[in-house]
Amino acid sequence: MTEHTTVVEEHPEVDYGQAWQGGDKPLKASYGKLMMWYFLLSDAFTFSGFLIAYSALRFNSSTWPEADFVFSTFPGGFHHMPLIFVTVMTFILILSSVTMVRAVQEGQRENQKGVAFWMGLTILGGLSFLGCQAWEWTNLITKEHVSLYTNPFGKYEADGVYINEDGSEGETFRAGSGYLVHKHDGHWAPKKYKVTSGPEAGTIKTQVFGPRAFGALFFVITGFHGFHVFSGVLFLLIIMLNVISGIYKKRKNGYEMVEKIGLYWHFVDLVWVYVFLVFYLL
Amino acid sequence: MAHLSYEESKKVVFKGLIFLGVITIVEVAIALLAKGQIIEGFHLNKTFYSILMAVFSLIKALYILGEFMHLKYESKALRVGMAIPLILLVWAAIAFSQDGYTFEQRRERSGDEHFPEKPPVAEHSLHDVAH
Amino acid sequence: MENNSLLIDDEKLLKENGYDDHFHDHHHDEDPYQSNFFSKYVFSMDHKMIAKQFLITGMFWAVIGAAMSVIFRLQLGFPEDSMTWIKPLLGKWIVIDSAGVGHLATEFYYALVTMHGTIIVFFVLTAGLSGTFSNLLIPLQIGARDMASPLLNMLSYWFFFLASVIMFLSLFVSTGPFAGGWVAYPPLSALPQASSGSGMGMTLWLISLTFFVVSVLLGGINYITTVLNLRTKGMSMWRLPLTIWSFFITAIIGLLSFPVLVSGFLLLMADRSLGTSFYLSEIFINGHALDNVGGSPILYQHLFWFLGHPEVYIIILPAMGIASEVLSTHSRKPIFGYKAMVISIASIAFLSFLVWAHHMFMSGMNPFISNFFVIFTLIIAVPSAVKVFNWISTLYGGSIRLNTAMLFAIGFVSMFISGGLTGIYLGNSALDIQMHDTYFVVAHFHIVMGVAAFFGMFAGIYHWFPKMYGRFMNETLGKLHFWGTMIGAYLIFWPMHYLGLAGVPRRYYSFDVFDTFSQFSDLNKFITVAAIITFFLQIVFIANFFHSIFFGKKVKEKNPWKSNTLEWTTPIHAGHGNWPGNIPTVHRWPYDYSKDGFDFIPQIQPPLAGETENH
Repeated sequence: MTEHTTVVEEHPEVDYGQAWQGGDKPLKASYGKLMMWYFLLSDAFTFSGFLIAYSALRFNSSTWPEADFVFSTFPGGFHHMPLIFVTVMTFILILSSVTMVRAVQEGQRENQKGVAFWMGLTILGGLSFLGCQAWEWTNLITKEHVSLYTNPFGKYEADGVYINEDGSEGETFRAGSGYLVHKHDGHWAPKKYKVTSGPEAGTIKTQVFGPRAFGALFFVITGFHGFHVFSGVLFLLIIMLNVISGIYKKRKNGYEMVEKIGLYWHFVDLVWVYVFLVFYLL
Repeated sequence: MAHLSYEESKKVVFKGLIFLGVITIVEVAIALLAKGQIIEGFHLNKTFYSILMAVFSLIKALYILGEFMHLKYESKALRVGMAIPLILLVWAAIAFSQDGYTFEQRRERSGDEHFPEKPPVAEHSLHDVAH
Repeated sequence: MENNSLLIDDEKLLKENGYDDHFHDHHHDEDPYQSNFFSKYVFSMDHKMIAKQFLITGMFWAVIGAAMSVIFRLQLGFPEDSMTWIKPLLGKWIVIDSAGVGHLATEFYYALVTMHGTIIVFFVLTAGLSGTFSNLLIPLQIGARDMASPLLNMLSYWFFFLASVIMFLSLFVSTGPFAGGWVAYPPLSALPQASSGSGMGMTLWLISLTFFVVSVLLGGINYITTVLNLRTKGMSMWRLPLTIWSFFITAIIGLLSFPVLVSGFLLLMADRSLGTSFYLSEIFINGHALDNVGGSPILYQHLFWFLGHPEVYIIILPAMGIASEVLSTHSRKPIFGYKAMVISIASIAFLSFLVWAHHMFMSGMNPFISNFFVIFTLIIAVPSAVKVFNWISTLYGGSIRLNTAMLFAIGFVSMFISGGLTGIYLGNSALDIQMHDTYFVVAHFHIVMGVAAFFGMFAGIYHWFPKMYGRFMNETLGKLHFWGTMIGAYLIFWPMHYLGLAGVPRRYYSFDVFDTFSQFSDLNKFITVAAIITFFLQIVFIANFFHSIFFGKKVKEKNPWKSNTLEWTTPIHAGHGNWPGNIPTVHRWPYDYSKDGFDFIPQIQPPLAGETENH
């Protein structure tokens, strides 16, 4: 029998990178931060599911409203300001992201007041964004009568000319320009028009609704994003109160909670980049 | 940002604000240009425009991911671990869109006259389907 | 293999070679995890208890799901015979005709089929299999005190419980549970007036499954971070047992696929209750055209199967991991091709996201993109075949112990081969024209992911029962259970291939009006009888399980199977924190069986004198 001792030399390990050998954090991140990353990854897939469904339904429709026509109002009764309001909204969200980065940086310096201050600004940004979204929705629903199952925004497929009540011809329009079916006294009042180009030139037509998937997708997807902003604001508020109360000072991992909610907040901004892309730009 | 001093990292934040802001303004400007809002009758090629916008959005997204979410400074394994799953979505997007397009083509070819978008002559009643 | 007497004693190793994580400094006498009945058995945060909760809830659902299949098999096998005897249980769902013969209500037949699928796929084979064994084994086999977040882990179970309660309630709704197939395609799922189960039943179904997804995500995030961050010293990724690899990758698949289902569900909920038309277009009901325009029912199918296909790997991968571990341990041989196994699991996972539309070849999908799905699907056969080859090579020349766990693991391989081969047929879009929606499909997926996954689960239960309860299950009953189930499963599903090739469609209530299929009525009777016998054999298992918890043969030594993995270095009844003292340090991979004259060398053994190269 061979002699054995309990302390035996290690064979030289195959080098996989020391951190992967166990007993360490191979991704250089705490489990809490990793969990946030993986949650965000799964949430990215939820949003991707929505956006890909949007893409499928848009390809599934023969026509689609023009964003620069649909989103051309601005609070205060301004019209013909295409995409200006949503640009403001985007700025607000970017700004709130920037203030969040500052909050995280102050957290790394263990500057309690700084963290609370910049988080406060972030919450303000989030609330302003939600306010803008509320105005946008209200305008679409009450003024323009877009709903989950009706979309009065359409797009002309050919050039044409409007026909007035008395049968005379009115303004002309070009193919590809958008229109909104108006409502008068609670009744839809689609306009009549004569097609002046293409194979159907000469026929008299009435405005029809645009693809209803547009309104439904808009409300569901921006609503889901808005819900993320809303819950983000709630969590920011809770964590800001915790910061002020000083409980993170006592903990070993300091302001990691601020970093985690920061990740979430930037993610919401990131998703907005794509919501902005598909609904407002394309 | 362990690799940068506090003052430097503050500058990075400011740069990020400018960077994202400028790209957004450029995006909106091109969007308005492309759709004939700025020069009457001038339109950009749709495919070219869509690709351009997708590229701009991707740049913005990567910037937010890299700088704001700090992914640029995380370990390589974490970055790769985040990137690989997102690749899966590319095929999903292609297949879903292609199939949506097929459905539309088929509907157009069959010319089903039962289901056009109806002219909205009367108050569009909340249909009884859901209730 | 007398060399094993040379191994160093576990206790000594733990003491001298393990490391102190100061866990016990914080957890003294009043352990907040186990201080009273509720925190110990109900709202437990201990992963071992949560595993048992998942297992027993899963078993509860398995009995219900299987009993449902017996009832609809009775309808298929004996359509003429009276079912009045079951009226006390099913009430108005047994309709008695003028001749006094009780028949299963047609709506309820569909409800049974639907619920059978939903329950077995989600509640038994996802939660009951991956939930149980991921929870039990991840911390134990990587050498961790518990999951990264015990709280989220507990919530994961309780969300599953909530989902279970809601789904269970839906069985008792007066209009019946959802009856449109477990895939819940619109319009049956999107229009509440479409069928009797499409109203309240479907609403509950949707809510239940949404909670279920929450449970899966909470669990999955936890499993992934635990495996990444909480491995003990020396436990590099290439030293993880294959069980852990499979749970790890399963969790990743779940994390990426279930969210897409949620987006599909949210759109479906909007269609149901808000009046949108995401999935609805061109529908006539009672001769009236519905108002819904512009949606696409195929979109739902895409979204569903983007989850649905990865879901079948969520089911089968844990079973593969368990089978690998059990096969290697009980054939006293290292697993053949360890790295090939890991790479296969990973590539199966990756490919599983590219193939979803092979479930939809005949849905009216673009036939051109079908080509890509066919190619991706057929490529999956490669890693699957690599795994099968490795399992068989592991068995080759081993000193096999034919105990129940091992039998089930071998049975798993058999089932996986039989069911996998038919998958190659079904993956071809051209062949699918004949075979889609027939019993061929039913036979294929029941064998490859139903029975095979159950076999993996049984292998796991028989193998780790001593770890869970400190007792053995009865081997005689276990062997009876195995042989009965093995033979029974083949007798049930093998004939279904013939039915399918002949074109017998699935989901039909009765084949009375099809003269072509009357020749199969005897075969259908045969299948039904086999199903009933197999069902009662599972009752034997359940009886064995619960009897053994209290009266089984006691485990006398810590490592009854002479296995290498870390869970067998914990005390027989491991408390919270798993190891009473130090956490073990790992010095080798988990498959050092029959090496250099040693029967087995546990992972905690440092390199031994005279030992050849070690992993």
